[in-house]
Amino acid sequence: MEVFLAQLINGLALGSIYVLLVTGFNLMILVARIIQFAYPQFVVLSMYACWEVLRLTNNVFLAVFACISTSIVLNILSEPIFRRITNMKGIDINASFVASLGIAIVITDIMSHSLNYGFPIAFPTSWVEGSLARFGLIMISKGQLYALAGSIIAVLLFFYLLYRTKQGRLFRAIAENRFAARLIGIPIVKTSIFSYFIAGLLGGFIAILLSLLLGSASPWLGEFVALKILAVSIVAGLGNLRGGLVCGLCLGVTEAMAMGYLSGSWSNVVSFVIMLIIILIKPQGLFGTSIS
Amino acid sequence: MPTVLSYFLGFTAIYILMCWAIYLPYRVGQLYFTTVACMAIVAYFSGFAAREWGWPFIFVLLVGIAIGAIIAYILSHAIGKAPCFTVVIVGLAFIFIVKTVIENWELLGGTVGFFGIPPVNNLLLIAYILLGIVGFVIYQIDHSRLGRAASVVFVDRDAAASLGVNIKSLGMFYQTIAGAIGGMAGVLYTFLLGSLSPEFFAFAMVGSLVCMLFVGGYTTMWGVIVSAPILGGIPILLPVTISSWRQVIYGILLVLIILVRPEGLITKRMLWNLKGKNRYKTASNLVNTRREKVG
Amino acid sequence: MKKKNNILKIENLSVTYGPIKALRKANLEVNEGEVVALIGANGAGKTSLLKAILNIEKPNGKILFLGKDIISKSTDNIVASGICLIPEGHVIFSSMTVFENLQLGAYHNSYDFDKNLEKVFAYFPILQERSSQIAGTLSGGEQQMLSIGRGLMSNPKLIMIDEPSLGLAPKIVADIFEILSELNEEGYTILLAEQNAKKALECAHRGYVLETGRFILQGTSRELMNNQKARRVYLGGSV
Repeated sequence: MEVFLAQLINGLALGSIYVLLVTGFNLMILVARIIQFAYPQFVVLSMYACWEVLRLTNNVFLAVFACISTSIVLNILSEPIFRRITNMKGIDINASFVASLGIAIVITDIMSHSLNYGFPIAFPTSWVEGSLARFGLIMISKGQLYALAGSIIAVLLFFYLLYRTKQGRLFRAIAENRFAARLIGIPIVKTSIFSYFIAGLLGGFIAILLSLLLGSASPWLGEFVALKILAVSIVAGLGNLRGGLVCGLCLGVTEAMAMGYLSGSWSNVVSFVIMLIIILIKPQGLFGTSIS
Repeated sequence: MPTVLSYFLGFTAIYILMCWAIYLPYRVGQLYFTTVACMAIVAYFSGFAAREWGWPFIFVLLVGIAIGAIIAYILSHAIGKAPCFTVVIVGLAFIFIVKTVIENWELLGGTVGFFGIPPVNNLLLIAYILLGIVGFVIYQIDHSRLGRAASVVFVDRDAAASLGVNIKSLGMFYQTIAGAIGGMAGVLYTFLLGSLSPEFFAFAMVGSLVCMLFVGGYTTMWGVIVSAPILGGIPILLPVTISSWRQVIYGILLVLIILVRPEGLITKRMLWNLKGKNRYKTASNLVNTRREKVG
Repeated sequence: MKKKNNILKIENLSVTYGPIKALRKANLEVNEGEVVALIGANGAGKTSLLKAILNIEKPNGKILFLGKDIISKSTDNIVASGICLIPEGHVIFSSMTVFENLQLGAYHNSYDFDKNLEKVFAYFPILQERSSQIAGTLSGGEQQMLSIGRGLMSNPKLIMIDEPSLGLAPKIVADIFEILSELNEEGYTILLAEQNAKKALECAHRGYVLETGRFILQGTSRELMNNQKARRVYLGGSV
């Protein structure tokens, strides 16, 4: 029972981070019309930036700032590439996937060659653990609590932006009907660039939460997370934000449970097997998709 | 023959086969990476069969191709007409699962690898004969009714369906052939190297193949014949300090080619022009004269 | 007829889709306070003309709106300067509420939002009733009204309407044309593209007849109604 509860909390923390990742990923699909496979790689690179600044200055605020600005800059920098691809005639969304695959490969390989000599990075213990909260036999690290609380706040803020603000209305309008949005005079390019900015902001935030929860990062983390995020968004239905919410949480909890009850290397397979089975049964996703 | 050269030739053949295995389902708009998983499964199967059971090469080859085809055929019932990214993630997830199973299976050598596979005489010759046969088959498919149907499906699925193309069975057909080719490449890879490591069948492999296919050009089967030796083969000849950066080069090339020449180096139009300008010209003249009539 | 102020003036406008010429050297004028009808069969180039004005299709030629050349401006700039297009087939944001649709229509004109909203609700009371309903659940006629209402929210100087009668019941079509006449009496200038030539000319002051990308006839509505050729081709032979 203790294992169950501890893993449930862990799983919710992990799951809510997946939710944020899928949300950012889906935002790119809906507004910018691209499959941004390198999005998790940007997040991991931001974690490296955070770690580097923390190591050099030991200043938390500076580290957080570096992390978020790295993420925003990376996403904005990728915008011209993707805009050029989406503007090409006769080229579909697959091309954006292939290009982002290229970007992902480059980032992963540079991380594994040059950054920290290719070794995984570990955040200082003061950043991760601090005082542990303890309820009976269950231990909850500060990182877990921060991650859980932080991602709930971020999700709420994001959905507030999307459903209650003018900018969010523009996002939804473009996502639903690009032609009609253009017709009523919504500046598509400007709004699209803003969506990259939001995705970057979200990515930076995710990087901080992930470093709090995991306490470390490796060059291959991005690849691994990218795989999961693509799988979750397909299981939920590409571009389905609410579906992503449900499936992201489910993935986190499933993984945590598998980690709690199975030996290390098998625990990751369990969630993939489950997702694979769901995809094979429902190729269009559980919650339906608006992307053809 | 020096070993490096034979590796170069062998890997080139394997990369061309694997790129074709991805090229075929992409004719109907599906990025089919499951074929890499088929390759991994068959590679380990053939290594095991050759070392432990002492099966002869030709037998291993035939059974290997059959295994690849069967796996792909079974999966294709579910994803025969699935959207592109569903097919992508099925492939990637399947690769991941297969890799983890291999890594944790003592019998297959785990992460250490699987060694001591008996060598085969004239493997390169066999590989290039097989390459020729596969190439001929793909050429025949591309120039048949199926190939033309696939071209329509690639551009517009709904239009193809309304023309009476059975998208699902077409997808199943291409996927099954891709699985069989993956199996063939797996057998060749096993006997070429004489040892197996799960590291090879990873995400990096998918990246390399996608790079070769898109840089070479995905609209015809000839593109990868140009790109696979350069991108897949030459790094084998280079010193490790340079070739360890090959993934970065792949990534950059991939982004550049999509930006500059999205259909790849070798395109269908280019081949038309090479074959003789007449055909392309007559086609456009026909459109022109028709337009005049309509106008 | 007294010469009025020119709102829209098009000179030598061509639109091409690859090798196909959808519109060839079109000339057209719309004056302030007018309803101008564009008549033509399916594929004659009406929609291409309207889209070209908004630079949704890349045009060649000259488009003067209020005396300024807008040919190289971006769509959102053109809409902001006061042209709105109400597209064919009631294109609305069907997963959003009616109110949100109207809010989106006011993207370039949010400062007198309340005044415009009042006006739209006065024309289409049904939209007020349904303002919190999801737009996709409206009937076809209501969707068309929402589409027009959304256009009005930007307080345009020129309203372009593409096939307002498409796929609607005759009773509703009559309603819509009545509303268009009302709008015109209020002072709105309207460019109306319509296959149903009789209905369009009844509503319009002047008309242009398009055939395979060329203007073949133009004149006042009365002239066109009485023109033998136009009658034979577009108004149903023996009338």
